[in-house]
Amino acid sequence: MKIIVNKTEYDIDVEPNMPLLWVLRDILNLTGTKYGCGIGVCKACTVLIDGYPEQSCSIPISYVEGKEVTTIEGLSINGEHPLQIAWKELSVSQCGYCQPGQIIRAAYLISKIPKPTVEDINKEMSEHICRCGTYKKIRDAILWATKD
Amino acid sequence: MDGITNLSRRRFVFGTAVTIAGVVSGFVFSNEALAELIVLDKDKKILGLTPSIWVEITKDNEVIVTVARSEIGQGIRTTFAMLVAEELDADWSKVFAVNADGDPKYGDQSTGGSTSVRTFWMTLRKAGAQARQLLINAAAEIWGVSPSDCFTENSFVYEKNGTRKLSYADLIDKALELPIPPENSIKLKSVSEFKILGKAHKNIDEPLFVTGKAVYGSDFRLPGMKYAVMLHCPYIGGSLLSYDDSEAKKIKGVLGIYRLSEGIAVVADNSWSALKGREALKATWNPGSNQGLSSETIFNTFRSLLGTLPELPKSTIKELNATYEVPFLAHSTMEPMSAFAFFQDGKCEVWAGTQNPQTARNSVASALGISRNNVKVNVLYSGGGFGRRHINDYIVKAAKISKASGFPILFFYTKDDDIKNDYYRPASMHYIKSGVDSQGKISGFYHKVVSQGDVFYVEPPYNISDIRNFTEKHNFGIPTGPWRSVDYTQNVFAIESAIDELANLAGVDPLQFRLNIAKSSRLKGVLQRVAEISQWNSALPKGVGRGVAAFEGYGAYIAHVVEVSVSDEGFLRILKIFAVVDPGFPINPENIRNQIIGSAIDALSTALNAEITIQNGQILQSGFHNYRWLRMEEIPDFEIDILTTSEQPSGMGEVGFPSVTPALCNAIYNAIGLRIRKLPIGKTPLLKSDDKKNHYEKFHFNTYPNPFVSKVQIEVIINDFNKPSLQLIIYDFLGKKLLEPKLSNTGNKFYTELNLEVYPPGVYYAVVCLDNKRYSFPLVKTI
Repeated sequence: MKIIVNKTEYDIDVEPNMPLLWVLRDILNLTGTKYGCGIGVCKACTVLIDGYPEQSCSIPISYVEGKEVTTIEGLSINGEHPLQIAWKELSVSQCGYCQPGQIIRAAYLISKIPKPTVEDINKEMSEHICRCGTYKKIRDAILWATKD
Repeated sequence: MDGITNLSRRRFVFGTAVTIAGVVSGFVFSNEALAELIVLDKDKKILGLTPSIWVEITKDNEVIVTVARSEIGQGIRTTFAMLVAEELDADWSKVFAVNADGDPKYGDQSTGGSTSVRTFWMTLRKAGAQARQLLINAAAEIWGVSPSDCFTENSFVYEKNGTRKLSYADLIDKALELPIPPENSIKLKSVSEFKILGKAHKNIDEPLFVTGKAVYGSDFRLPGMKYAVMLHCPYIGGSLLSYDDSEAKKIKGVLGIYRLSEGIAVVADNSWSALKGREALKATWNPGSNQGLSSETIFNTFRSLLGTLPELPKSTIKELNATYEVPFLAHSTMEPMSAFAFFQDGKCEVWAGTQNPQTARNSVASALGISRNNVKVNVLYSGGGFGRRHINDYIVKAAKISKASGFPILFFYTKDDDIKNDYYRPASMHYIKSGVDSQGKISGFYHKVVSQGDVFYVEPPYNISDIRNFTEKHNFGIPTGPWRSVDYTQNVFAIESAIDELANLAGVDPLQFRLNIAKSSRLKGVLQRVAEISQWNSALPKGVGRGVAAFEGYGAYIAHVVEVSVSDEGFLRILKIFAVVDPGFPINPENIRNQIIGSAIDALSTALNAEITIQNGQILQSGFHNYRWLRMEEIPDFEIDILTTSEQPSGMGEVGFPSVTPALCNAIYNAIGLRIRKLPIGKTPLLKSDDKKNHYEKFHFNTYPNPFVSKVQIEVIINDFNKPSLQLIIYDFLGKKLLEPKLSNTGNKFYTELNLEVYPPGVYYAVVCLDNKRYSFPLVKTI
């Protein structure tokens, strides 16, 4: 099966119902995408599939055949995406574990709404759980990254 | 002398082929945010300088700080690096941190009780100052001047009255020839000389977090590794009777199945195959002595042990007899427990997120029957700790599975495993008997804590003439362990709620009441300041309330004011949290703010929603869908103020938790006069008692069953059938609109069956809208 992850094509031999998450983590060693709950609730495993945020824990690998997958490792070269810069500038993370998923969704949000309001951010980002409670900093960082 | 050689050339991208023998310790942050696992090769010629086990200076003029406490989100790697860098006058942009492995030479490595800063504050500063003095001595010798003629800045030594300067790296060869300055000759900076400490600093790990390069326990990879999960007994204290693995062995990728004392391990080529293999296992279990055990039994037993408390002093004119109740809680870290272990030739090496690598090392040695000297525990990032990673059960399991299978093993819990195999925050009941005298003073304060024997009492931080404490216990064998701020979470909820109730009995403003009796001037200081920033004495609209609570612990002081609104329908909104913390000396103010806000959200989530329940000897919760955590849209605004009152720092990871819960409950009381004595709050409809009726002039409201598990039937019988402008809306207890179900009708009876299966347990409100009026009815969903 051929899949495209971060603009690289991989030919992999796995069962078609294996979730994308485990292909990324165990087969491709792209461990930036995290396992949180395995049932699509916490959203730590969020990746972009053809630009849309999806829970890689609940997507069978056969579904992404021929589609483009973007993980945190592929969001930018050297961590210089505006959101990554904002995260660093504001020291958003505590344990850091949920942040790749948060950043991926935030990237989708600003691709859709380049200047999101607090309400836009709350609505989109409330999909995700951060057990450390960094929500305020996440919101501030998205606003910081999209300010004039 | 140990050393890191030529660090920059030894930065390996994680996942490149490294031999097990070559992997020695930890990982490092790099400014360029490139590769991040440091592979140290101790056989190479030492080029770096290590005046102590805490600091190394490299030929590239980098400073490597050894961090012997675990990063679990509290920012300790940044803090420790700052402590060394300050006294070393290091160039902050070239300061890195590596994690120590578990070894007694580092002292106590238990990351708990918010002790890290207080334990290492002087040690690490001295290590920095000692290295600095050694480098000054080396420069002085090279230049033929006195050390007092030299000064340091940004990783260089300068000649005071000259133009000469040398980088720390340039001084390494000379320094290696010189004696290390004895500790008693070292002079530390005064607070006024600090350039790094006390200023906001960025998290040094952020570049790794935002690129997915930080290596957590579950991210460790080695060539030839396999993945493992375990089928655990679903009954607390139960045991395996028999199992059949014939179907599991047929699953593609499954390599082996091993019966261990902890459960049945499935080893496979990847996580998915391991999980599929586990699913195909058939096992029968002996529930053991806990068969039939439920939360109800536990709390009924606790209640029966409350007994009586002594008579209060005769001066008492108004008496409070209140019982506060808190449930078991799971840690529910974002990253379920996981560990990597490789047993080979009688030795075992572990890579894991753990809050105690020393006890992990001992436990692995004992479980494998080998000497501690043959076990190495490397500390990786933890996807949250909160006390959970003090217990190293998952590390021992990884080691045992590696030994049984012969493979390097990444062992992991699923979220369900993680919640069901936790060491829970203990549940407890608190009977407080207290009262006030004719002067409005507390006459006596008697407090009995009933638990499994795992909750100790805490004394109120107030001048009260007659404080007495009691404990009672009944151990049901529910495994419990440390949980962020430990005994304080339960005790401070009870005590600070009771103080509020006493203030009301005394007819005194609750904040003033605390100021009148606070023992410590620093506790008074945070209370006074929080009164200012929250405008405590300003008037509030109807349905809006303010609550206050205070706490001292971990060497720090904090006061919280929580502002809430409770609507006529019962919807709770947490509007704002004001917190004033007095850490003594604030090492990194930005990180303090992060910790205070994070702790508050942790406290709100647990106070509002979280509860672990037991039925028939089993844990019912299994994930965030039924163990609910707050989301971004639900968090309040925050205003945080930090007071600097001394030159001694304190612990910041836990102090922000305990007083949030009582301040919230006190605010709800202030808003609607309803006193919450049982957590979580989300189980109690926030309706005044006169609102709790089903019959109205215009209609009659019925639900069945209520409480319910997933489905509930609702019917509205309208008295005046001519005007059926009727609407039904379902909200969660925070007032978020969830559903607007369509109603069927037979005559004047309107009805529907709601399926709320996908929503977490707690209180919901069915709001009937009729003739421009809204009537709210609680729906109680249980697990």
